[in-house]
Amino acid sequence: MDNNSQYLQMFFDESAEYIQMLNENILVLEQEPNNKEIINSVFRAAHSLKGMAATMGFDKLTDLTHKIENVLDKVRNDELVINEEMIDYLFAGFDLITTLVEDIKTKGEEASDISNYVEELKTYLAGDHTAEKEEVITKLDENFMIDLDNNEKNEIVNKMKETDYVYQVNTVLNEDSMLKSVRGYMVIKKATELGHVVKSKPSKEKIEDEDFGNEISLILVTSMDENAIIDEIEDIIDVQLVIIKQIEMVKSTKEKDNKSNSPENSSSKSNSKVKSFDVAPTVRVDINKLDNLMNMVGELLINKTRLEGLKVKSDIYQDILQQLDRVTMELHHVVMQIRMVPIGGIFNRFPRMLRDLSKELNKQIDLIIEGADTELDRSIIDELADPLVHILRNAADHGIESPEARQKKDKDAIGKILLSAYQKGSEIIIEVEDDGGGIDPDLMAEIAIEKGIATPEEIQSMEKKEKLNFIFHPGFSTSKEVTDVSGRGVGMDVVKRVVESLDGQVFIESEMDVGTRFTISLPLTLAITQALMVKIDEEVFAIPLSAISETLTVNPQNIRQVSGQDVIVLRESTIPIIEASKQLNLDVSYRDYINDLEIPIVIVNTGDKQVGLIVDELMNQQEIVIKSLGNYLIDAEHISGATIIGDGNVALILDVRNIA
Amino acid sequence: MAKQVLIVDDAAFMRMMIKNILVENGFEIVGEAENGKIAVEKYKDLEPDLVTMDITMPEMSGIEATKTILKSKPEAKIIMCSAMGQQAMVIDAIQAGAKDFIVKPFKPDRVLEAINKVLG
Repeated sequence: MDNNSQYLQMFFDESAEYIQMLNENILVLEQEPNNKEIINSVFRAAHSLKGMAATMGFDKLTDLTHKIENVLDKVRNDELVINEEMIDYLFAGFDLITTLVEDIKTKGEEASDISNYVEELKTYLAGDHTAEKEEVITKLDENFMIDLDNNEKNEIVNKMKETDYVYQVNTVLNEDSMLKSVRGYMVIKKATELGHVVKSKPSKEKIEDEDFGNEISLILVTSMDENAIIDEIEDIIDVQLVIIKQIEMVKSTKEKDNKSNSPENSSSKSNSKVKSFDVAPTVRVDINKLDNLMNMVGELLINKTRLEGLKVKSDIYQDILQQLDRVTMELHHVVMQIRMVPIGGIFNRFPRMLRDLSKELNKQIDLIIEGADTELDRSIIDELADPLVHILRNAADHGIESPEARQKKDKDAIGKILLSAYQKGSEIIIEVEDDGGGIDPDLMAEIAIEKGIATPEEIQSMEKKEKLNFIFHPGFSTSKEVTDVSGRGVGMDVVKRVVESLDGQVFIESEMDVGTRFTISLPLTLAITQALMVKIDEEVFAIPLSAISETLTVNPQNIRQVSGQDVIVLRESTIPIIEASKQLNLDVSYRDYINDLEIPIVIVNTGDKQVGLIVDELMNQQEIVIKSLGNYLIDAEHISGATIIGDGNVALILDVRNIA
Repeated sequence: MAKQVLIVDDAAFMRMMIKNILVENGFEIVGEAENGKIAVEKYKDLEPDLVTMDITMPEMSGIEATKTILKSKPEAKIIMCSAMGQQAMVIDAIQAGAKDFIVKPFKPDRVLEAINKVLG
């Protein structure tokens, strides 16, 4: 295990992809049970997974995927019918696969027990006619394919008529069969009667000399269909099992080179419908390397800014600076592009989750996903999965009502949850909207009082929005009893925390009996951002541009007072103004600004309202590289990080989200 | 109507064994032959639904008898009775058109399985 860690990583990556593919496709399959293409791609995914697991020596995983593959194979060959129960079994199996992979990742071995599941699956399959044959298939599958050389290929192509198919037929004889050579001979003879036998393994001579095990594989060209062939051959005494696989033979095989001629490449039927895309070659890169690259770009940017700060009066200097500026911008852009992945990567696991949930909760829920191709920085996406899971669970559990309740309200019995993502300026917006019962702000207020989060007096003056915002308060859960699905009291506050740690914001809107909408807004990327530099008490601070709605200078005469609070009226809306220095608890005398001739104000969006932040001086706009303050200063209020500015000094980055 | 069977074997003991198995299971034994030559004659006379044919017999072997019968009546249903180690001959017979084979010592269910399959 030690020296294959490089394979291990690849194994984890790829198995995650395959598991995802399995889950997605099975969902589709549930809707379209006869979609052969989907069945085939599910089968291929399971098969590839098995191959990988076997190569890595993960026995349980191999065994499990093999069992599942067998089921899928039966589905593929129309021996099993897809129904809800089977879909459930398959999902359970995929979950177990995921667990095993997790085991390997965290514990280095396959700790979980699969025997129960395997037993269950066996029992389920026993209802059909296949259970005891399971073992045989296991043994057989490994050497299923017969290799064909070019002559044999040509022979097939020549013999083939329009209506013909090429099959690989594998026959297993009973262990205790007597005169096995004769049985084997009878199999070959029967096959010869059914069509043209191109090749057999073992050869006819070896079979007659009884120089073989229990299996005979042969390549058969015939116009018969698979089931008819199976029936005919299974009719022979002592034939325990017949497995058949169609091999796609293209007429043009002759012209093709050797490689494409082996059965694997000429592809079993399953591959025949794979669309070929023109895909640019890709490379898998460790995300850490990208982080490093981003850091380096950041360093470059800092030095560029410092260089600009030198203000050398020389044409060449200006020229170089411009070039440098362009190159670093481009570089930054490219690195960001590389780090961007479609948010669909996490969205696509939700249909499966919602399906499970709706079954568990006895509700009917449609999940509509929009904007899955919206791209976001990889590191943000990874963090986002859990909060979204939580919001969706809440929506399904608390939001959507039971079908009966919905009908009483004259709503469609099927609840809808809309999960959408889109880009808005330099932000990504993710919305989860349900058409459920909505949240009662007064109930929220009541609970808040009950839990000691707020006092009745405070509640009095609260608006609906503020009451709803209790949902983000730690230790707040409206669920009367703890269900398996949600309502453990740790939830929305965690969501809020995670989103804020990503420099994003989360809002809630809710209308009784109409529905609830959670909106998460996130910066496109974390590392580099545009910022406005301002001076507060002689110090330079950076305010991320994404939080700023506008800047202006105000004449003190235009300042009004509303219940003791200084406000300005801007385009008919009243905006409170506060001193940044005061909010930062800087040691300055307050309300000095009233004597200034002009007051520089930055209007920022904080939460869902706007506040005018009074600063000493508006400086310039520039790109800043966000550096974290480290663990010791993580709780610094209203400061989200630091950046290095042109003169080499450090400027703190203001976190204006909760500044007023 | 009960299916009619002709039993061919040089050993009376073996004939009796097969006979008992078949009679117990509702077959009608229309005749017995102790060598291939007699078997060919009796087949012509009796036109049974099925023949169980031993391989090693005096006068004319089961293989030869099988080939002769099949030549005149290709749809004849013949099951070879073989001992272990006679695979080459059985293959020969099956190539000639025998439908199946059973192996001595006979097990009733095996015999019936083969016969039913061939007749079915």
